[in-house]
Amino acid sequence: MKSRFRHAPLLLALTLLSAAGMARAQLPGAAALPGPVTVVSPAPLSSSVTVYRDMAREEGRFTLRWLRGYALISEKRRVSLPAGDAVVRFEGVADGMIAVSAVVTGLPGAVDEKNRDARLLSPASLLDGSLGNRVHLRRTNPATGAVTETDAIVRSGPDNAVVLETPQGIEALRCSGLPETLVYDSVPEGLSAKPTFSVHTRSERATEAEVTLTYLATGFDWGASYVATIAEDGRTLDLFAWLTVANGNGASFEGAQLLAVAGQPNRSSDFDALVARAPSPQLNLSCWPMDSTGTQPSSADGMPPPPPPPAPMAVMAEIQLTARRSDKAMYAAVATQEDLGDLKLYRVPVPVDVLPDGQKQVAMIQREKVPFTAFYAGTLDPVQDEDGSVPLARMLRMDNRDREGLGLPLPSGSVAVMRRRGDGELLLADSTMKDRAIGEKVEIAAGISGQLRLTRTALALSDKERRFRLVLANATKERAAAEIAIPRLDGFDLKAPAGVKNKDGGKVWLASVPANGTASLDLTYRRQ
Amino acid sequence: MTVRFTMAGLQALAMMGTMAGAAMALPAQAQTGQTSAQGDLSVTIYNDDLALVQDVRQLNISSGVSRIEFPDVSAQIRPETLSFSAPGAAIVEQNFDYDLLSPDTLMEKAVGQVVTIVRTNPGSGAETREQAKVLAVNGGVVLQIGNRIEVLRDDGLPVRVIFDKVPPNLRARPTLSVRVDSDRAGTRPASIRYLTPGLGWSADYVALFDARAGKVDVQGWVTLTNTSGTTYTNANTLLVAGSVNQRQATPYVRRPAPGMAVSPLRNPGTETAGREQLGDFYLYPIANRTTIASNQTKQVSFLDVQGVPASAGYEYVNGWLSTGTEAQSADSVVRFSTSARGGLGDALPAGTVRFYQKDASGAPQFTGENRLGHTPMGSQLALATGKAFDVKVQPVVEQRQKLGDSKWRTTMRYELTNARPDAVTVDLVQQGLDFAWSDTRIASESLKSERRNADAVVWHVPVPANGRASVTATFETRY
Repeated sequence: MKSRFRHAPLLLALTLLSAAGMARAQLPGAAALPGPVTVVSPAPLSSSVTVYRDMAREEGRFTLRWLRGYALISEKRRVSLPAGDAVVRFEGVADGMIAVSAVVTGLPGAVDEKNRDARLLSPASLLDGSLGNRVHLRRTNPATGAVTETDAIVRSGPDNAVVLETPQGIEALRCSGLPETLVYDSVPEGLSAKPTFSVHTRSERATEAEVTLTYLATGFDWGASYVATIAEDGRTLDLFAWLTVANGNGASFEGAQLLAVAGQPNRSSDFDALVARAPSPQLNLSCWPMDSTGTQPSSADGMPPPPPPPAPMAVMAEIQLTARRSDKAMYAAVATQEDLGDLKLYRVPVPVDVLPDGQKQVAMIQREKVPFTAFYAGTLDPVQDEDGSVPLARMLRMDNRDREGLGLPLPSGSVAVMRRRGDGELLLADSTMKDRAIGEKVEIAAGISGQLRLTRTALALSDKERRFRLVLANATKERAAAEIAIPRLDGFDLKAPAGVKNKDGGKVWLASVPANGTASLDLTYRRQ
Repeated sequence: MTVRFTMAGLQALAMMGTMAGAAMALPAQAQTGQTSAQGDLSVTIYNDDLALVQDVRQLNISSGVSRIEFPDVSAQIRPETLSFSAPGAAIVEQNFDYDLLSPDTLMEKAVGQVVTIVRTNPGSGAETREQAKVLAVNGGVVLQIGNRIEVLRDDGLPVRVIFDKVPPNLRARPTLSVRVDSDRAGTRPASIRYLTPGLGWSADYVALFDARAGKVDVQGWVTLTNTSGTTYTNANTLLVAGSVNQRQATPYVRRPAPGMAVSPLRNPGTETAGREQLGDFYLYPIANRTTIASNQTKQVSFLDVQGVPASAGYEYVNGWLSTGTEAQSADSVVRFSTSARGGLGDALPAGTVRFYQKDASGAPQFTGENRLGHTPMGSQLALATGKAFDVKVQPVVEQRQKLGDSKWRTTMRYELTNARPDAVTVDLVQQGLDFAWSDTRIASESLKSERRNADAVVWHVPVPANGRASVTATFETRY
């Protein structure tokens, strides 16, 4: 009513200005509308999710309840903008959104301002926002069930429990032992259910715009899940990998383009701090001291018991992973790989649904008959004075080259080493893989073997020299290759027989231990 | 059955309370929420979680000595920094009271006074009213009812306690007040100024890097965060880049610790940006008045530069003359300048730079981020964005000989591999050369090195496409 009154003289004036200005008559009217118009974009039309792995965790699998990686989410949205100033509110963004990373493109005008508001509606903020206002105090008589409602004014903030002013006097909420609660007439202004993200922009004229909202969000992770199946002859293996992606966010991305980035992009800011929801003030209903004659203070409003520990969820993935039929499985969708600067980008070729609290696996690597060598690895400890015998680690080594059946980037992840055995398969090792570039050698630790042991005997431990005898014992029925690292000892020269070679920047004893036999080597560290 | 008491009686009671001088921080207001008592606000925000708030309010000050309260100041105000000025009014004292109203304090202040207790019979629901005198509040509440002594709710049965009034000096929120002596009565502008933590800002940069074209587009945003618990309505906002000394010892200039990545600032600039300066600080005013809501993160654009020349490079830092057990990825580095000529042409406030590169489909993808300190205009920057998947370096101690009591000779070999389809140049840095402040000499090397400083040398090593390269050097050290 009021606005019509205000515009009436203006319209009258414009009419009087006659025909010439008629076409433009709308413009000043529109511009006179006060303040920016709020435009809500409820949901994206389409989205793309690029997942980055958690750099801080070890290689191998991740825990579904503790996803510390992140994702770059890119959403296409359509908004209708009025002429002039507008605030575009984006709803349905991921809860782990890092607002400072958000970029909005495609708007006709520039974005002057981006805001994320996190004053959330909660029991405490409801009370806080009602300070000094009228609320209703509702009591239920425990015997008769009669409900009494009294008007009251909130006199204290939520930090110190609630003091109310009623027609009868000053009272404290929930100190009497009667069932009582506050009833509010309305929600205080500026409180929202979820943190909201909005931008301030300006458009010359009313228009429909397709905008892209891009932001980082936490609560994702991914890794490669390799299955290496050793052939029955023990000389080659089939290497398969799943691209395993998990979304621990509340947001759901249906029909999304899914990508994953391998490599180690830098992360310098504290994502958790950037995401952290504003601490919604705790509603603290404490009372005056309530000690009774016989007892210690009873906590009138006990804290709810802590939630039960999360159920182990990783089991699902493993079942899926190991239950795969190893022989010539076909995959309709295999992720493709491309270079992204110095990182590797994997693209799932079909649109997929990335659902909240869900894990998804798509085939990414499939290589057959990759030759490998198996050996046992150990290290000499030249510093300790006590002698000892240690079991050796079983290792598989592949060469990441085309002619060796590989020759592709291998992103880090978990490795299940399987061995064909008649009809079935046997798990040999549950191991990990680091990022391996083309041309690098790939070593997979496949457990500790008790069948091969390295025994060190000190022959001389003087100030001038440290002399050792190394004996490798093989309890298996086959000849075994072993590689024993001989570390450098500062201030000493190493005198070792011909069996010790330079390898990977250090000295290594390359031994071949006969079946059910031993091999030995003497070496001396002499002070320089 | 619902019984409603009328509001009229309640309001009369509330008014009586106010007239009786029950000093409430906020008066009872209409149902629609609170209006802010803030006046003409100016907020100057520093980087290190500190802001200067100036608030000019129109206050009606009566003649003589009176007390003025200031609601709606920052909930985290540093009260000792408050300064007040109003024409014709002299300050007697400034007070910051934080004795807060709670059931606990209410009961404690009622010691020696008479309250009303209402018992509800759990069987019949009948209510009985009694007058009780609060004798003590120590762990529990001890009451005198007539000539009986009782502990409040000792039997666990429901008992309501009704107090007559809120004691003076108990407030809903910490309250700032001044007592002034005014030579006249009347409304006049009164300004208060104070410091508060909980307001801070930093910069966030979005850098879209095109490696093929050798260009980077940079957008700069200032990010304001408000966790001070208060909304600043319609404030004139000014951001100050630079840190004020907040009780820190004078920082002495330190060299980077061995093995730490080198600072992204390679060559500090000497140009002055065309922005307002105050002393050594650059000022970034926000064009229009803005409301900084409580718990809000606000970003305002301050820089948008397209097509700045930039180049990609690689850097590997070996912290000490040591062997790597396996090849490690080199850092991917993006280099550009902040100069007016061939650069961003601005002084950059400290913040986080996030790099994006386009994938095969043309969509920008995140490729890493890094922190930037306050950077003068004209500086050369080299920001590490992450580790290169395909470019790796393995340092190896080839030989180490003791030549004397404090003379060692170490031969290092560095193996560089490149799995990329194009040739790259790696800046290979050997640090830790002035270990324990002793001198180090390079006796021989396979490639000419460049001495970066006393602690580090750098080799610019070309590595062919899908190939490898090797550098050897012999160091003579004291240890």
